[in-house]
Amino acid sequence: MHMLDLILVLSSIGAWAVSGLMSLGGGWKARLGTGLGVLGSLAAGVGAIRALAGAPPATLNVHLWGLPVRFELDALSAAFLVPLHLIGGLGLLYGREYWPEDLPKGAGRTLRFFYGTIIASMSLVFVVRQGILFLVVWELMAVSAFFLVSTEHERADVRRAGWVYLVSTHLGTLALTAMVILLGHRLGGFPWAPLRGASPAAVDGWILLLAFLGFGFKAGVFPLHFWLPGAHASAPSHVSAILSAVMLKTGIYGLLRVSSLLPAIPRGIGGTLLALGAFTAVFGIGNALAQRDYKRLLAYSSIENLGVIAMGVGLGWTGRATHDPWLVALGFGGALFHVWNHAVFKGLLFFGAGSVLHATGTRDMEVLGGLAARMPRTAWWIFPGVLAVAALPPFNAFLSEWFLYRGLFAALQRGYPWSAVVALVALALTGGLAAVAFARFYAVLFLGQPRSAAGQHAHDPSGVMLAPMAALAILCLALGLGSLLLLPMLDRVVAVIAPGAKPMLVSGMGRDLAWITGLEVLLLLLGGLALAWIRRSPRPDPALAPPTWDCGYAAGTTRMQYTGSSFADGWSVHLPGVRSHMRRIKGLFPKPLRFRTEVQDAMGDLLVAPRMAALAERLLWFRRLQPGFLSVYLLYVLLTLLGVFLWMLLRAQVLG
Amino acid sequence: MPDALLTRILHLLMHLLTVVLLAPLIPGLITKVKARMAGRVGPPVFQLYYDLAKLARKQAVYSRTTTWVFLLGPVGTVAAMLAASLLVPFGHTPAPVAFEGDVILFAYLLGLSRFLTVLSALDTGSSFEGMGAAREVAFAALAEPALFLGFAALAKVSGSTSLTLMLGSLGVGSGAVTAPLILIIAGWSIVYLAENSRIPVDDPTTHLELTMIHEVMVLDHSGRPFALVLYGASLKLLVLSALLLDLMLPKAAHAWQDWARFFVGLGGLAGVVGLVESATARFQMTHVPRFLVAGILASAFAFLLLLV
Repeated sequence: MHMLDLILVLSSIGAWAVSGLMSLGGGWKARLGTGLGVLGSLAAGVGAIRALAGAPPATLNVHLWGLPVRFELDALSAAFLVPLHLIGGLGLLYGREYWPEDLPKGAGRTLRFFYGTIIASMSLVFVVRQGILFLVVWELMAVSAFFLVSTEHERADVRRAGWVYLVSTHLGTLALTAMVILLGHRLGGFPWAPLRGASPAAVDGWILLLAFLGFGFKAGVFPLHFWLPGAHASAPSHVSAILSAVMLKTGIYGLLRVSSLLPAIPRGIGGTLLALGAFTAVFGIGNALAQRDYKRLLAYSSIENLGVIAMGVGLGWTGRATHDPWLVALGFGGALFHVWNHAVFKGLLFFGAGSVLHATGTRDMEVLGGLAARMPRTAWWIFPGVLAVAALPPFNAFLSEWFLYRGLFAALQRGYPWSAVVALVALALTGGLAAVAFARFYAVLFLGQPRSAAGQHAHDPSGVMLAPMAALAILCLALGLGSLLLLPMLDRVVAVIAPGAKPMLVSGMGRDLAWITGLEVLLLLLGGLALAWIRRSPRPDPALAPPTWDCGYAAGTTRMQYTGSSFADGWSVHLPGVRSHMRRIKGLFPKPLRFRTEVQDAMGDLLVAPRMAALAERLLWFRRLQPGFLSVYLLYVLLTLLGVFLWMLLRAQVLG
Repeated sequence: MPDALLTRILHLLMHLLTVVLLAPLIPGLITKVKARMAGRVGPPVFQLYYDLAKLARKQAVYSRTTTWVFLLGPVGTVAAMLAASLLVPFGHTPAPVAFEGDVILFAYLLGLSRFLTVLSALDTGSSFEGMGAAREVAFAALAEPALFLGFAALAKVSGSTSLTLMLGSLGVGSGAVTAPLILIIAGWSIVYLAENSRIPVDDPTTHLELTMIHEVMVLDHSGRPFALVLYGASLKLLVLSALLLDLMLPKAAHAWQDWARFFVGLGGLAGVVGLVESATARFQMTHVPRFLVAGILASAFAFLLLLV
C-alpha cells in the first residue's frame, strides 16, 4: 500500500501544475485552480506524513525520453514535503486576498501561474532520484522563483533584486552540474541510490565541495547569501514565505541527500561546515538588527536560521566521520527539527509582515508603530512567531536549538573543543541577538504609538489572511509542547541521512524532553494563574486611562518614542555595512540638522557588487563581436560549421 | 525505600518554601546592611513583604497607550523565574527537577523573562522606558556569554549538562579544579550584579530616570502587576544567588547541614552585596561594558585552563 503515498505526492504535483495553468484564465478557472492547489497540498501532506510515520520507502522506476528515471518517497523527502505543502497551501489561501488576481494588469495571474509551478517543481526536487532530471526540476524551481520575485517588475529595486538572484542561482547550478557529473561517475550512473559497502574515495570530498557551492548558494550560507535579502524582501509576502520557509531548505535537502548517497564523509568537512554555519548565524542576525525594512529584517533572520541548520548538518557530518551515533542523531535531528520549526514560524512572520504591508503600504518600520491597537488580531497571532524566532520556551524553535546545544556539549566532551566552543558561543550569541532583533521588530511595529500617518488608520485583514496565520501560530506552540511525538519521525529521517546509524533520539532524549514539556506546561499554568490574579483586582475605567508617565514632561509627542534605529544603536554601528550621515554641530545656535543612516550588505553591496560592475565593464569587449549585420552572423555560422567539420576529420588523430 | 522517598519529599518542600516565601527577604537584608553602613536604622528587613501586600490591594493604573503586551512582562517574569528555580540545586541538595540539558532551559527562561519585560516596557511608548530597554538588552548580551562560558567550563569538568550535577558536586576546596572555579565565581559575580541591577552597574534606588536601567522599564507598572515585578526581581536574585553559592559552599557531611550552610550563605551574600553597594559608586554608563567584558574574560580564561 505504500506505493499509494508516492502516487498521492505525484498526483499533488500534477494538481499544482494544473492549478497554475488554470489561474492564467482568471474568474471561475482561478477559483478552481485554488481549490486544486489546496487539494494537492492535502494529498501530498497525507502521503508525506504517512511516509514519516513509518511507511517503507516507495519507489517508481520509469523511462522518460529513453532515460531511466527514479521517483522515490522516503522519510527524508517527506520531511521536506510536509513544510512545503503546509506553507504552500496556506500561502495560496493567503494570497487570494493579499494579491487579488485582477491587480495590477494581469500580474496577479502570472503570480498564480508561477506559484503553481514553483510548488510543483519543488515537490519534484524532493522526490526525483536521477541526476539529470534533478537539474531540470531544480532549474524550473529557480526560474519560477525569479518570476515570482520580479512580480512588481515596474520597480527598479525589484528588477535589480531579481537579476542578482538569477545570476546567483545560475552560478549555483553551474557547480551542481559539475557535481551531478562527478556523482554519476561515482555511483556508476545517473539514478541516485546509496552506495553501500564501497570504500571512501578522494572524489567524495570534491563532490561534497561542489555540492556545498551549489546548494550553499540556495541555502544562503555566508558568503553565498548576498542575493537573498533583496529577493525575499521584494517578493510578494506569501511568496517570501515560500522562499524563506521552504526554498532555502532545498539547499539543505540537497546537501543531506547527496551526502547520504556517499559511503563515508571525509573528516574535517563537518567541522568546517559547523564553523561556517556559526559565522553565518551571527552574521545574519547581526545584520537583521540594523535593518529598517521589516521584510529585509526577516530575510536576514532566515540567513541566521539557515546558519543554525548548517551547524546541525556540520555536527552530523562530524558524527558520521567519527562514527559517533549520538552526534549523528543530535546534529541531523536538530537540523531537521529546525527546518520544520523555521518553516512554521518564518511562514507566520512573513504572513504577518504581509498583513502589515497590506494595511500600511510601507516596508519602513520607522514610520509605523502602535499597530497592536489598530490590528489587534494580527498582533496577537504573530506574537508566537516572534517568541519562536527568538528561540524562547515554550515555543518550537527552542527545542531544536536545545538539540543542537546538547550535540555541541557532547562534541565538547568527545574532544573536539575548538569547533564546539566556537559554535556554542555563536549559538548563545545568536540567541541573545535574535531576542534583541525581534523585540525591536515587534515593539517598533506593534507597540507604542504610530510614528506617522502611514499606520494611523491601519486595520486587520479579513479571515482569509488571518486563518493561515492562526494555524501556524497554534502549530508553533503545538510543536513546542508535542515534540515527544516527533522523536520517532526524526529518528526515521536520520536513518535515511546516515545509512546504518542507530536510532538514538527516542531512547536518548525522550525522558529529558518529557521533563521540558512538563516545565513548559507549568510555565504556561503559572503565567495563566498570575494573569488571572491581576484580572481579579478591580479594573479601572478605560475612559479615564491616563497617558504614559513621561517623567513629569506633559507635552510628549509620538516622535519622542524610541525608534528601531535608536534601540539597536549600540549594535548596528559595529556592522561593516552601516553608514551614518550627519554634519557636525557648529556655533551657538545651530541650524536644523538631518541625520540619515543606510545599511548595506557587507558581502553583496560592498564586496561583490563593485567587482561585478568592473567585470561587466571588461566583458563589454565581447560586444564588438556583435556588429548587428546579418552577413557577419552568417559568417559565424559558416566558421562554426567549418570548425565542427575539421574536428570530425581530425578527431581520430587528436585523440589517438 | 519509603525513608529515602520521605527525605526527597522533605527536600522538595524545603526547596519550594524557600523559593516562594524566602525570596523577598534578600532585598530587605541588602537594604538593611546598606542602611546600617550609612548610619541609619533603615526599613525593616520584611519591608518588601509589606510592600507586596499593599500593592496587592491597590488598583492598577494602565496608560491608554498600553495593550495586553503590557501585562506579559510581570506575568512572564514570575512564571519563568518560578520554573527556573526548580532547576537550580540549593546548596548540595539536588534540584527538584534535573535532566541532561536543563542548563540551557534555565538560560533561556532567564531570556524569556527579559524579552517579555523589554516588550512590556516598549508597550508604553515612553522614550525613557525605551532607553531602559535598549540598555537592558545591550548589557544582558554582554552578561550572557560570561554565564555561558562558565556553564561550558562546568560541563567540561563534570561531564554533564544538568545544573544539579554541574553545581551540586562541586565547591571550593573539593578537588583539583580550584583555580578555574575561582575564575568562574569572579565572572559570575559580575553577571550577578549586572543581572540583578545592583551597584556598580545599576542603582535600584536611584531617582533620576535618565540614569536607570532596569527600574526605568517598570515606571508605568502599578498595583498587582508591579507587585509581580518586585516579586519576580526577588526570585531572580534568589535563583542567581543559589547559582553562585553552589560554587562557593563546601559539601557538608549531612544533608541538613547543607541546608543550614545554604541559608547562612544566602544571608552572607546579601551582606556582601550590601557592603559592595555601600563602598562603591556606580560606573559611568559608558564604562559598564568594560566591567561586563571582564566577566566574559574571567569565564573564558577558566574554560581555557580546563582545556589545557
